[in-house]
Amino acid sequence: MRLYVDNAKCSGCNACRVACSLNLFDESNPKKSALLVLPHFPSPGVYEVKVCTQCGECAAVCPDEAIKLNAKGAWYVDFDQCSLCEACVPECPEDVMFVKVELATAAWKCDLCGDCVDVCGTSALWISEKENAVA
Amino acid sequence: MNGYGGKILRVNLTTGKIAKEQTPVDIARDFIGGRGFGAYFLYKEVPQGADPLGPENKLIVSSGPMSGLMIPGAGKCDFTTKSPLTGGYASASMGGHFTAEMKYAGLDSIILEGISSKPVYLFIDNDRVELRDASEFWGQGTIAVEKQFKEKFGEDFQIAVIGPGGENVVSYACINHDFGRQAGRGGVGAVMGVKKVKAIVIHGTKSIPVADSQAYRNAGKALYKACKDASFLEEWTRYGTTVVTSWCDEVGALPTRNFSAGSFEDGKNLYGPVMREKIVITDKGCFGCPSPCGKYSRSKKYGSYVEGPEYETIGLLGSNLGISDIEAVAQANLLADDAGIDTISAGNAIGWAMECYEKGIFTKDDTDGLDLKFGNIEATFELIGKISRKEGFGAFLAEGVKKASQKIGKGTEKFAIHVKGMEQSAYATHNATAMLLAYMTCDVGAHHNRSWAITYDIQVGRDLVVPEKVARVIWLQNFRPMFDVLGGCRLQWVELGIDRDLYITALDAITGIHRDWNDYEKVGERIWNLTRMFWARENDGFSRSWDLPAPRFYEEAPESGATKGQITKIEDVHRLLDMYYEQRGWSNDGLPTSERLAELNLSELVA
Amino acid sequence: MTATIRTSSALRDFLDGKDEFEVEAGHTVRETLLSLNIKPELIALVIVAGEQRSKDYVIQEKDEVKVMAIIGGG
Repeated sequence: MRLYVDNAKCSGCNACRVACSLNLFDESNPKKSALLVLPHFPSPGVYEVKVCTQCGECAAVCPDEAIKLNAKGAWYVDFDQCSLCEACVPECPEDVMFVKVELATAAWKCDLCGDCVDVCGTSALWISEKENAVA
Repeated sequence: MNGYGGKILRVNLTTGKIAKEQTPVDIARDFIGGRGFGAYFLYKEVPQGADPLGPENKLIVSSGPMSGLMIPGAGKCDFTTKSPLTGGYASASMGGHFTAEMKYAGLDSIILEGISSKPVYLFIDNDRVELRDASEFWGQGTIAVEKQFKEKFGEDFQIAVIGPGGENVVSYACINHDFGRQAGRGGVGAVMGVKKVKAIVIHGTKSIPVADSQAYRNAGKALYKACKDASFLEEWTRYGTTVVTSWCDEVGALPTRNFSAGSFEDGKNLYGPVMREKIVITDKGCFGCPSPCGKYSRSKKYGSYVEGPEYETIGLLGSNLGISDIEAVAQANLLADDAGIDTISAGNAIGWAMECYEKGIFTKDDTDGLDLKFGNIEATFELIGKISRKEGFGAFLAEGVKKASQKIGKGTEKFAIHVKGMEQSAYATHNATAMLLAYMTCDVGAHHNRSWAITYDIQVGRDLVVPEKVARVIWLQNFRPMFDVLGGCRLQWVELGIDRDLYITALDAITGIHRDWNDYEKVGERIWNLTRMFWARENDGFSRSWDLPAPRFYEEAPESGATKGQITKIEDVHRLLDMYYEQRGWSNDGLPTSERLAELNLSELVA
Repeated sequence: MTATIRTSSALRDFLDGKDEFEVEAGHTVRETLLSLNIKPELIALVIVAGEQRSKDYVIQEKDEVKVMAIIGGG
């Protein structure tokens, strides 16, 4: 299972990112969310959303084994295990592995909670089976 | 304070002094935020008789308790000032993402005071606040400047910027943001320009505190679910406010040729579905919005991108000018946005000028050679530029339609379509008495956002003049602007019809203070009466005559269209005002009584 | 032969609290609205199966006709 997005439907509202930060940190703060909404304006005039594809590359390189599988089969960061080494950040092909020490004392990523899908008014986001499972 | 950024930022542009103070709890209790803070600080701190373009005027920029949170439509920012266009109260509501970023930077209001000797921009990055040199940006259009700031500081920075219109202090200059949103009306951009502030650039990474997080999260989700379940979400999103265009044409509300009629024979080319097919590429929304009304468009004919046009611009720069080409309207929209002037006031003023020209009151000698006939697209484009640069004939129109018509005389005041000096927005009101009353009594002048009542007029009887209609207008005026006070958008409630009590649950959880809609409407009334007192304080002889509509609406019935032959009687105009003042608890001259002010706890403030 | 008319919920204020009506097919949208005491002038948009229709569209059996009134304005 993973999160999918249709960029053409994204209106840039960022409700997904507030929902995400609330899920991960119980705080309303898009800077602490695990997905990116990138505006491309004034031209070509579209939004580009980066979401975790659950590829597992971050988990593969984590020296502390801090990135684990949850009950949904999604990779998440165990905050207590993370040493902030940042090995995971450059591995993420979507730039959605986050380390910002001024904001949190561990790395964070999408745990597939689905709250972003619930608040997306244009139905740009959805969760579904992965098309290609990664070994 | 739960739900708030926590601080008021004061910037004295004369001295360069920057200071922060705690957001006062009692002001938050009585005025809530957003437009409420704007009204409070305006009355309290701008001295009587202040020149709107002088150092004593202030520009008060305010977020609200909804802003930046997981609530539908949590993206509106209020800009309040003493208006250089009207000499009275101006409040403009700007969508986008600026208001959210204010909260993340720990701010509820930014108050710009004094006048800078040199062009500056205000830079805010969490607690770092600086006035920086803006000379390299001065003179540039809003789009190029926003683009440069985004490239320089990153997409996470939110930008509010003026164009040449604001720099040149055009009376209806606006403030731009997010490549397509504006604080549009009343000349808020002119005040920013005369203060020599080119832009406010803001970024914050703080979290917004709430009283009961679990309850807020549940309430927020319930609000989003209600929006997603709304029967017309898809249709609203597809067309945004352009859903109204065809209907207005059908019922005679589409301003045509300087409001001489309410239907446009070529109107079909401007309708929502036509526009969507021809130019729309992205549904673009404000912070937190599930029903994005912004229609980001690309015109192949002109090779340009613009957010819009939305209904108001379609009305005032389209049918009001006899222009039926939607791509031309989009281009005019872009020119006005980039120059930083209000499309509504500009379209209204140009429509007046076109009527004067067609009547022979102006000739080409007056108009710098422009053939200002209705329908002339190129002349419209040129005139937008001239207005923003205050060049020649443009300088004359830049003063607004009230002053321009007073200067010229020759009966042109009769078809200067404004109230209190604010150009009327895009609903023709030849025969719709609730909407006419709404325009007459709107607190910033002839703007529709406070009380939109045309459907009600049609439902109960267009020309009916009864207390129920007046009550409806008053209720809308107390209730609709509460969203501006809360720092959010009313359109989810208004257009999707979601249950407004869902907001109560959310706001209680956010602020930790229980208020029901009666409580919020009381705040609405308080603000309404305070800003009425501001008009009275600032304008000698302010009374009933200031509430009168443009004479066109009681003297000249349209000769065509859905309202052909229909007009309101002047006696009915006065009857509407009689009932309105009575229901508001005001004197027969339209001034709040001391009893009313006492009931609303305003006696001390307005003493 | 029946169909359904669904109105914007904000119209409930004017329609005794209802926003869904079962109607006879075979009449135009305009005629059907009048039979429900809804002034056709109130309706800004008529949608049937995702497509915009005029008020002269003849309602077919099993059609779900959405009619949207503008309550708020731009």
